[in-house]
Amino acid sequence: MNNKIFAILILVSCLFCGLALSQTGTKKKRPLPYEYGRVVIDNYSQKADLAPVVFEHWIHRSMFTCRVCHVDIGFAMKAGATDIKAADNAHGYYCGTCHNGKMVADGKPVFAACSRKFNLEDEKRCQRCHSYGLKVASDFDFFQFSQPLPKERFGNGLDWEKSEELGLIRPASFLPGISAPKNSLALQKDFALNPKVEGMPDIIFSHKKHTVWNGCELCHPDIFMGVKRGAAKYTMVDISEGKSCGACHTTVAFPLTDCQRCHSKPVQP
Amino acid sequence: MLFKAMLFKATLFKAMIFKAKFDTALITLLLFLGLAALCSAPAVGGPYAAAQTGASQESWQKEFDEICAQTEDAMTFSQAELADLIRRCDNLKPRIEKSDESRRKVYLERLRKCRGLYAYVLDAKKLDAQKLDAQKLDAQKLDAQKKEKK
Repeated sequence: MNNKIFAILILVSCLFCGLALSQTGTKKKRPLPYEYGRVVIDNYSQKADLAPVVFEHWIHRSMFTCRVCHVDIGFAMKAGATDIKAADNAHGYYCGTCHNGKMVADGKPVFAACSRKFNLEDEKRCQRCHSYGLKVASDFDFFQFSQPLPKERFGNGLDWEKSEELGLIRPASFLPGISAPKNSLALQKDFALNPKVEGMPDIIFSHKKHTVWNGCELCHPDIFMGVKRGAAKYTMVDISEGKSCGACHTTVAFPLTDCQRCHSKPVQP
Repeated sequence: MLFKAMLFKATLFKAMIFKAKFDTALITLLLFLGLAALCSAPAVGGPYAAAQTGASQESWQKEFDEICAQTEDAMTFSQAELADLIRRCDNLKPRIEKSDESRRKVYLERLRKCRGLYAYVLDAKKLDAQKLDAQKLDAQKLDAQKKEKK
Protein backbone atom coordinates (compact mmCIF):
# COMPACT_ATOMS: atom_id res chain seq x y z
CA MET A 1 0.00 0.00 0.00
CA ASN A 2 2.77 2.38 1.04
CA ASN A 3 4.60 1.56 -2.15
CA LYS A 4 1.53 2.50 -4.17
CA ILE A 5 1.19 5.86 -2.39
CA PHE A 6 4.88 6.46 -2.84
CA ALA A 7 4.60 5.70 -6.59
CA ILE A 8 1.60 8.04 -6.94
CA LEU A 9 3.46 10.79 -5.09
CA ILE A 10 6.45 10.39 -7.42
CA LEU A 11 4.14 10.44 -10.42
CA VAL A 12 2.39 13.62 -9.23
CA SER A 13 5.68 15.37 -8.46
CA CYS A 14 7.00 14.35 -11.90
CA LEU A 15 3.85 15.82 -13.44
CA PHE A 16 4.33 19.13 -11.61
CA CYS A 17 8.00 19.24 -12.57
CA GLY A 18 7.07 18.56 -16.18
CA LEU A 19 4.48 21.34 -16.14
CA ALA A 20 6.95 23.76 -14.61
CA LEU A 21 9.63 22.91 -17.14
CA SER A 22 7.25 23.06 -20.08
CA GLN A 23 6.43 26.73 -19.43
CA THR A 24 7.92 28.96 -22.04
CA GLY A 25 9.19 32.51 -21.71
CA THR A 26 11.65 34.04 -19.35
CA LYS A 27 11.06 36.27 -16.42
CA LYS A 28 12.38 39.76 -16.99
CA LYS A 29 14.50 41.13 -14.22
CA ARG A 30 13.01 44.34 -12.94
CA PRO A 31 15.69 47.01 -13.33
CA LEU A 32 16.88 48.85 -10.27
CA PRO A 33 16.01 52.57 -10.04
CA TYR A 34 19.44 53.67 -11.30
CA GLU A 35 19.36 51.09 -14.10
CA TYR A 36 15.95 52.09 -15.47
CA GLY A 37 16.30 53.77 -18.85
CA ARG A 38 19.84 52.50 -19.33
CA VAL A 39 20.72 51.92 -22.96
CA VAL A 40 23.62 49.80 -24.16
CA ILE A 41 24.88 50.67 -27.64
CA ASP A 42 27.18 48.36 -29.50
CA ASN A 43 27.05 49.06 -33.23
CA TYR A 44 30.79 49.44 -33.70
CA SER A 45 32.35 49.50 -30.21
CA GLN A 46 33.44 45.88 -29.88
CA LYS A 47 34.62 45.82 -33.48
CA ALA A 48 36.97 48.65 -32.47
CA ASP A 49 38.12 46.76 -29.35
CA LEU A 50 36.15 49.04 -27.07
CA ALA A 51 33.48 48.18 -24.53
CA PRO A 52 29.91 48.96 -25.62
CA VAL A 53 28.56 52.38 -24.68
CA VAL A 54 26.36 52.66 -21.60
CA PHE A 55 23.96 55.58 -21.77
CA GLU A 56 22.09 56.67 -18.64
CA HIS A 57 18.79 58.33 -19.45
CA TRP A 58 18.20 59.64 -15.92
CA ILE A 59 21.00 62.20 -15.88
CA HIS A 60 20.34 63.41 -19.41
CA ARG A 61 16.58 63.73 -18.98
CA SER A 62 17.10 65.88 -15.91
CA MET A 63 18.85 68.43 -18.14
CA PHE A 64 17.01 68.19 -21.47
CA THR A 65 13.52 67.43 -22.68
CA CYS A 66 13.05 64.36 -24.88
CA ARG A 67 12.67 66.46 -28.02
CA VAL A 68 16.12 68.05 -27.75
CA CYS A 69 17.83 64.69 -28.15
CA HIS A 70 15.26 62.73 -30.16
CA VAL A 71 14.17 65.49 -32.54
CA ASP A 72 16.81 68.22 -32.63
CA ILE A 73 19.93 66.08 -32.24
CA GLY A 74 18.41 63.15 -34.09
CA PHE A 75 18.74 60.14 -31.79
CA ALA A 76 16.44 57.29 -32.79
CA MET A 77 13.93 55.89 -30.33
CA LYS A 78 15.51 52.43 -30.25
CA ALA A 79 18.94 51.52 -29.00
CA GLY A 80 21.39 51.07 -31.84
CA ALA A 81 19.01 52.41 -34.50
CA THR A 82 20.82 55.74 -34.81
CA ASP A 83 23.97 54.07 -36.14
CA ILE A 84 26.28 56.48 -34.35
CA LYS A 85 29.88 56.41 -35.46
CA ALA A 86 32.87 57.87 -33.64
CA ALA A 87 33.37 60.24 -36.59
CA ASP A 88 29.83 61.60 -36.12
CA ASN A 89 30.61 62.47 -32.50
CA ALA A 90 33.98 63.90 -33.41
CA HIS A 91 32.32 66.14 -36.01
CA GLY A 92 29.97 67.51 -33.35
CA TYR A 93 26.86 65.44 -34.03
CA TYR A 94 24.87 63.10 -31.77
CA CYS A 95 26.76 62.75 -28.43
CA GLY A 96 29.35 65.21 -29.76
CA THR A 97 26.71 67.94 -29.94
CA CYS A 98 27.16 68.53 -26.20
CA HIS A 99 30.11 66.29 -25.38
CA ASN A 100 32.60 68.49 -27.18
CA GLY A 101 34.81 69.72 -24.35
CA LYS A 102 33.41 73.22 -24.84
CA MET A 103 29.85 73.15 -23.54
CA VAL A 104 29.64 74.04 -19.87
CA ALA A 105 27.27 72.31 -17.45
CA ASP A 106 27.27 72.86 -13.68
CA GLY A 107 30.27 75.15 -14.11
CA LYS A 108 32.37 72.42 -15.68
CA PRO A 109 33.12 71.76 -19.34
CA VAL A 110 31.32 68.68 -20.61
CA PHE A 111 33.91 66.04 -21.51
CA ALA A 112 34.49 65.49 -25.20
CA ALA A 113 33.14 62.30 -26.73
CA CYS A 114 35.10 60.64 -29.52
CA SER A 115 38.04 62.50 -31.02
CA ARG A 116 39.61 62.21 -34.46
CA LYS A 117 42.99 61.25 -33.01
CA PHE A 118 43.31 58.59 -30.38
CA ASN A 119 46.09 58.19 -27.82
CA LEU A 120 46.52 55.70 -25.05
CA GLU A 121 46.05 58.62 -22.64
CA ASP A 122 42.52 58.99 -23.99
CA GLU A 123 41.56 55.55 -22.71
CA LYS A 124 40.03 56.90 -19.50
CA ARG A 125 38.00 59.47 -21.43
CA CYS A 126 36.74 56.79 -23.82
CA GLN A 127 35.75 54.60 -20.91
CA ARG A 128 33.42 57.26 -19.55
CA CYS A 129 30.95 56.12 -22.21
CA HIS A 130 32.45 52.83 -23.40
CA SER A 131 31.94 51.36 -19.97
CA TYR A 132 29.82 48.24 -20.35
CA GLY A 133 31.21 45.54 -18.07
CA LEU A 134 33.81 47.92 -16.63
CA LYS A 135 33.93 49.57 -13.25
CA VAL A 136 33.99 53.23 -14.17
CA ALA A 137 33.40 56.02 -11.67
CA SER A 138 30.77 58.49 -12.83
CA ASP A 139 30.59 62.21 -12.10
CA PHE A 140 26.97 61.76 -11.10
CA ASP A 141 25.68 59.60 -8.27
CA PHE A 142 22.08 58.53 -8.74
CA PHE A 143 21.27 58.33 -5.04
CA GLN A 144 22.69 61.74 -4.32
CA PHE A 145 20.89 63.16 -7.35
CA SER A 146 17.55 61.57 -6.50
CA GLN A 147 17.54 62.47 -2.80
CA PRO A 148 15.73 65.84 -3.06
CA LEU A 149 13.33 64.73 -5.82
CA PRO A 150 9.74 63.55 -5.20
CA LYS A 151 9.48 59.80 -5.23
CA GLU A 152 7.38 57.36 -7.23
CA ARG A 153 7.03 53.62 -7.01
CA PHE A 154 8.40 52.37 -10.30
CA GLY A 155 10.94 53.12 -13.00
CA ASN A 156 13.64 55.38 -11.63
CA GLY A 157 11.54 55.69 -8.47
CA LEU A 158 11.14 59.40 -9.19
CA ASP A 159 8.24 61.63 -10.16
CA TRP A 160 9.90 63.52 -13.00
CA GLU A 161 6.84 65.60 -13.79
CA LYS A 162 6.48 66.82 -10.23
CA SER A 163 10.22 67.40 -10.02
CA GLU A 164 9.94 69.84 -12.90
CA GLU A 165 6.83 71.47 -11.46
CA LEU A 166 8.68 72.07 -8.21
CA GLY A 167 11.63 73.52 -10.08
CA LEU A 168 13.98 70.83 -8.83
CA ILE A 169 14.97 69.98 -12.38
CA ARG A 170 14.87 72.33 -15.35
CA PRO A 171 15.08 70.32 -18.56
CA ALA A 172 16.03 72.64 -21.42
CA SER A 173 13.92 72.41 -24.55
CA PHE A 174 16.18 74.45 -26.80
CA LEU A 175 19.79 73.92 -27.74
CA PRO A 176 21.34 77.05 -29.30
CA GLY A 177 22.70 76.41 -32.77
CA ILE A 178 20.97 73.03 -33.00
CA SER A 179 17.27 73.42 -32.26
CA ALA A 180 15.17 75.22 -34.84
CA PRO A 181 13.64 78.30 -33.18
CA LYS A 182 9.96 77.57 -32.63
CA ASN A 183 6.89 79.41 -31.48
CA SER A 184 5.44 78.39 -28.16
CA LEU A 185 3.12 75.49 -28.62
CA ALA A 186 -0.61 76.07 -28.52
CA LEU A 187 -2.15 74.39 -25.49
CA GLN A 188 -3.17 70.85 -26.32
CA LYS A 189 -6.19 69.55 -24.47
CA ASP A 190 -5.97 66.39 -22.38
CA PHE A 191 -8.36 63.69 -23.50
CA ALA A 192 -9.84 60.49 -22.14
CA LEU A 193 -9.57 57.03 -23.70
CA ASN A 194 -11.93 54.24 -22.76
CA PRO A 195 -10.31 50.92 -21.89
CA LYS A 196 -11.85 47.71 -23.17
CA VAL A 197 -11.82 46.00 -19.79
CA GLU A 198 -14.93 46.70 -17.78
CA GLY A 199 -14.32 48.41 -14.45
CA MET A 200 -10.89 49.63 -15.49
CA PRO A 201 -10.63 53.42 -15.02
CA ASP A 202 -10.44 55.57 -18.17
CA ILE A 203 -7.06 56.71 -19.37
CA ILE A 204 -6.46 60.43 -19.09
CA PHE A 205 -3.88 61.29 -21.67
CA SER A 206 -1.94 64.43 -20.83
CA HIS A 207 -1.47 65.85 -24.30
CA LYS A 208 -0.02 69.01 -22.76
CA LYS A 209 2.76 67.25 -20.88
CA HIS A 210 3.61 65.03 -23.83
CA THR A 211 3.80 67.89 -26.32
CA VAL A 212 5.86 70.10 -24.02
CA TRP A 213 8.47 67.39 -23.51
CA ASN A 214 8.32 65.71 -26.91
CA GLY A 215 7.02 68.18 -29.46
CA CYS A 216 4.61 66.87 -32.10
CA GLU A 217 6.97 65.20 -34.56
CA LEU A 218 8.47 62.79 -32.06
CA CYS A 219 5.18 60.90 -31.70
CA HIS A 220 3.39 61.67 -34.98
CA PRO A 221 3.46 59.79 -37.25
CA ASP A 222 6.30 57.45 -36.24
CA ILE A 223 4.79 56.18 -32.99
CA PHE A 224 1.12 57.12 -33.38
CA MET A 225 0.41 56.92 -37.08
CA GLY A 226 -3.38 56.70 -37.13
CA VAL A 227 -5.02 59.86 -38.37
CA LYS A 228 -8.62 58.95 -37.70
CA ARG A 229 -9.46 59.53 -34.06
CA GLY A 230 -10.52 56.34 -32.30
CA ALA A 231 -9.69 54.13 -35.27
CA ALA A 232 -6.42 52.73 -33.94
CA LYS A 233 -6.78 50.04 -31.30
CA TYR A 234 -4.16 49.91 -28.59
CA THR A 235 -3.72 46.75 -26.57
CA MET A 236 -1.64 46.22 -23.47
CA VAL A 237 0.12 43.35 -25.26
CA ASP A 238 1.22 45.69 -28.06
CA ILE A 239 2.18 48.38 -25.58
CA SER A 240 4.25 45.94 -23.53
CA GLU A 241 6.03 44.99 -26.76
CA GLY A 242 7.11 48.60 -27.17
CA LYS A 243 4.44 49.80 -29.57
CA SER A 244 2.57 53.13 -29.17
CA CYS A 245 2.79 54.24 -25.50
CA GLY A 246 5.25 51.39 -24.91
CA ALA A 247 7.89 53.14 -27.01
CA CYS A 248 8.71 55.22 -23.94
CA HIS A 249 6.66 53.67 -21.14
CA THR A 250 8.55 50.39 -21.18
CA THR A 251 11.97 51.94 -21.39
CA VAL A 252 12.39 55.43 -19.96
CA ALA A 253 9.12 56.98 -18.82
CA PHE A 254 7.24 55.42 -15.87
CA PRO A 255 6.60 51.75 -16.67
CA LEU A 256 3.36 49.87 -17.37
CA THR A 257 3.31 48.45 -13.85
CA ASP A 258 2.31 51.91 -12.66
CA CYS A 259 -1.28 51.36 -13.91
CA GLN A 260 -3.03 54.21 -12.15
CA ARG A 261 -0.86 56.92 -13.62
CA CYS A 262 -2.57 56.37 -16.98
CA HIS A 263 -5.83 54.76 -15.87
CA SER A 264 -6.44 57.74 -13.66
CA LYS A 265 -10.05 58.79 -14.16
CA PRO A 266 -12.05 57.92 -11.04
CA VAL A 267 -14.61 55.19 -11.65
CA GLN A 268 -18.18 56.26 -10.94
CA PRO A 269 -19.92 53.97 -8.43
CA MET B 1 83.47 64.77 -96.19
CA LEU B 2 82.02 61.43 -95.33
CA PHE B 3 83.21 61.85 -91.76
CA LYS B 4 81.59 65.29 -91.56
CA ALA B 5 78.33 63.88 -92.89
CA MET B 6 78.43 61.05 -90.37
CA LEU B 7 79.16 63.52 -87.54
CA PHE B 8 76.26 65.68 -88.63
CA LYS B 9 73.98 62.65 -88.76
CA ALA B 10 75.06 61.58 -85.26
CA THR B 11 74.50 65.11 -83.88
CA LEU B 12 71.12 65.26 -85.55
CA PHE B 13 70.22 61.84 -84.17
CA LYS B 14 71.32 62.89 -80.67
CA ALA B 15 69.32 66.09 -80.96
CA MET B 16 66.28 64.16 -82.07
CA ILE B 17 66.63 61.74 -79.14
CA PHE B 18 67.07 64.66 -76.75
CA LYS B 19 63.98 66.41 -78.17
CA ALA B 20 61.93 63.23 -77.91
CA LYS B 21 63.07 62.71 -74.29
CA PHE B 22 62.40 66.37 -73.47
CA ASP B 23 58.90 66.14 -74.97
CA THR B 24 58.14 62.94 -73.03
CA ALA B 25 59.41 64.48 -69.78
CA LEU B 26 57.42 67.65 -70.38
CA ILE B 27 54.22 65.74 -71.14
CA THR B 28 54.76 63.49 -68.10
CA LEU B 29 55.37 66.52 -65.90
CA LEU B 30 52.26 68.29 -67.20
CA LEU B 31 50.18 65.15 -66.80
CA PHE B 32 51.49 64.66 -63.27
CA LEU B 33 50.76 68.27 -62.32
CA GLY B 34 47.28 68.04 -63.80
CA LEU B 35 46.56 64.80 -61.98
CA ALA B 36 47.91 66.17 -58.71
CA ALA B 37 45.75 69.27 -59.03
CA LEU B 38 42.70 67.12 -59.78
CA CYS B 39 43.31 64.81 -56.83
CA SER B 40 44.29 67.42 -54.29
CA ALA B 41 41.45 69.84 -54.97
CA PRO B 42 38.63 67.75 -53.53
CA ALA B 43 40.82 66.16 -50.83
CA VAL B 44 42.23 69.36 -49.43
CA GLY B 45 39.21 71.38 -50.32
CA GLY B 46 40.93 74.68 -50.40
CA PRO B 47 39.49 77.98 -49.35
CA TYR B 48 37.35 78.36 -52.46
CA ALA B 49 35.81 74.89 -52.15
CA ALA B 50 35.22 75.36 -48.43
CA ALA B 51 33.59 78.71 -48.99
CA GLN B 52 31.37 77.23 -51.70
CA THR B 53 30.33 74.27 -49.51
CA GLY B 54 29.79 76.57 -46.55
CA ALA B 55 27.62 78.94 -48.57
CA SER B 56 25.42 76.18 -50.01
CA GLN B 57 25.16 74.54 -46.58
CA GLU B 58 24.21 77.87 -45.04
CA SER B 59 21.47 78.39 -47.60
CA TRP B 60 19.86 74.99 -47.00
CA GLN B 61 20.31 75.29 -43.26
CA LYS B 62 18.30 78.52 -43.34
CA GLU B 63 15.59 76.85 -45.39
CA PHE B 64 15.64 73.83 -43.06
CA ASP B 65 15.24 76.03 -39.97
CA GLU B 66 12.38 77.92 -41.62
CA ILE B 67 10.53 74.73 -42.51
CA CYS B 68 11.08 72.77 -39.32
CA ALA B 69 10.53 75.73 -37.00
CA GLN B 70 6.84 75.54 -37.88
CA THR B 71 6.06 72.05 -36.62
CA GLU B 72 4.44 73.45 -33.47
CA ASP B 73 1.98 75.41 -35.63
CA ALA B 74 1.18 72.51 -37.97
CA MET B 75 -2.37 72.19 -36.64
CA THR B 76 -3.15 75.83 -37.46
CA PHE B 77 -2.11 75.60 -41.13
CA SER B 78 -4.48 75.21 -44.06
CA GLN B 79 -4.23 72.23 -46.41
CA ALA B 80 -2.53 74.40 -49.03
CA GLU B 81 0.05 75.67 -46.52
CA LEU B 82 0.80 72.14 -45.38
CA ALA B 83 1.14 70.92 -48.97
CA ASP B 84 3.57 73.78 -49.62
CA LEU B 85 5.67 72.83 -46.59
CA ILE B 86 5.80 69.22 -47.77
CA ARG B 87 6.90 70.38 -51.22
CA ARG B 88 9.65 72.50 -49.63
CA CYS B 89 10.80 69.45 -47.63
CA ASP B 90 10.99 67.40 -50.84
CA ASN B 91 12.98 70.14 -52.58
CA LEU B 92 15.38 70.40 -49.66
CA LYS B 93 16.16 66.69 -49.46
CA PRO B 94 18.52 66.47 -52.48
CA ARG B 95 20.42 69.52 -51.22
CA ILE B 96 21.01 67.92 -47.82
CA GLU B 97 22.04 64.68 -49.52
CA LYS B 98 25.11 66.48 -50.90
CA SER B 99 26.46 67.17 -47.38
CA ASP B 100 29.10 65.12 -45.58
CA GLU B 101 28.03 61.80 -44.06
CA SER B 102 27.39 62.88 -40.46
CA ARG B 103 25.52 66.05 -41.37
CA ARG B 104 23.51 64.24 -44.02
CA LYS B 105 22.48 61.49 -41.58
CA VAL B 106 21.34 63.93 -38.88
CA TYR B 107 19.54 66.41 -41.09
CA LEU B 108 17.83 63.87 -43.34
CA GLU B 109 16.36 62.25 -40.24
CA ARG B 110 15.26 65.61 -38.88
CA LEU B 111 13.73 66.52 -42.22
CA ARG B 112 11.95 63.17 -42.39
CA LYS B 113 10.34 63.89 -39.01
CA CYS B 114 9.21 67.40 -40.09
CA ARG B 115 7.82 66.16 -43.37
CA GLY B 116 6.15 63.22 -41.66
CA LEU B 117 4.33 65.51 -39.25
CA TYR B 118 3.13 67.87 -41.98
CA ALA B 119 1.90 64.92 -44.06
CA TYR B 120 0.19 63.46 -40.98
CA VAL B 121 -1.61 66.72 -40.17
CA LEU B 122 -2.56 67.18 -43.83
CA ASP B 123 -4.12 63.70 -43.88
CA ALA B 124 -5.99 64.49 -40.67
CA LYS B 125 -7.27 67.75 -42.14
CA LYS B 126 -8.37 66.05 -45.34
CA LEU B 127 -10.26 63.48 -43.29
CA ASP B 128 -11.90 66.20 -41.21
CA ALA B 129 -12.88 68.06 -44.40
CA GLN B 130 -14.39 64.88 -45.85
CA LYS B 131 -16.37 64.35 -42.65
CA LEU B 132 -17.62 67.93 -42.76
CA ASP B 133 -18.64 67.54 -46.40
CA ALA B 134 -20.47 64.32 -45.59
CA GLN B 135 -22.24 65.99 -42.67
CA LYS B 136 -23.25 68.92 -44.90
CA LEU B 137 -24.58 66.54 -47.52
CA ASP B 138 -26.57 64.66 -44.89
CA ALA B 139 -27.99 67.92 -43.56
CA GLN B 140 -28.93 69.04 -47.09
CA LYS B 141 -30.65 65.68 -47.75
CA LEU B 142 -32.58 65.99 -44.50
CA ASP B 143 -33.66 69.54 -45.39
CA ALA B 144 -34.76 68.37 -48.82
CA GLN B 145 -36.74 65.49 -47.29
CA LYS B 146 -38.41 67.87 -44.81
CA LYS B 147 -39.33 70.26 -47.62
CA GLU B 148 -40.81 67.39 -49.66
CA LYS B 149 -42.92 66.28 -46.70
CA LYS B 150 -44.18 69.81 -46.21
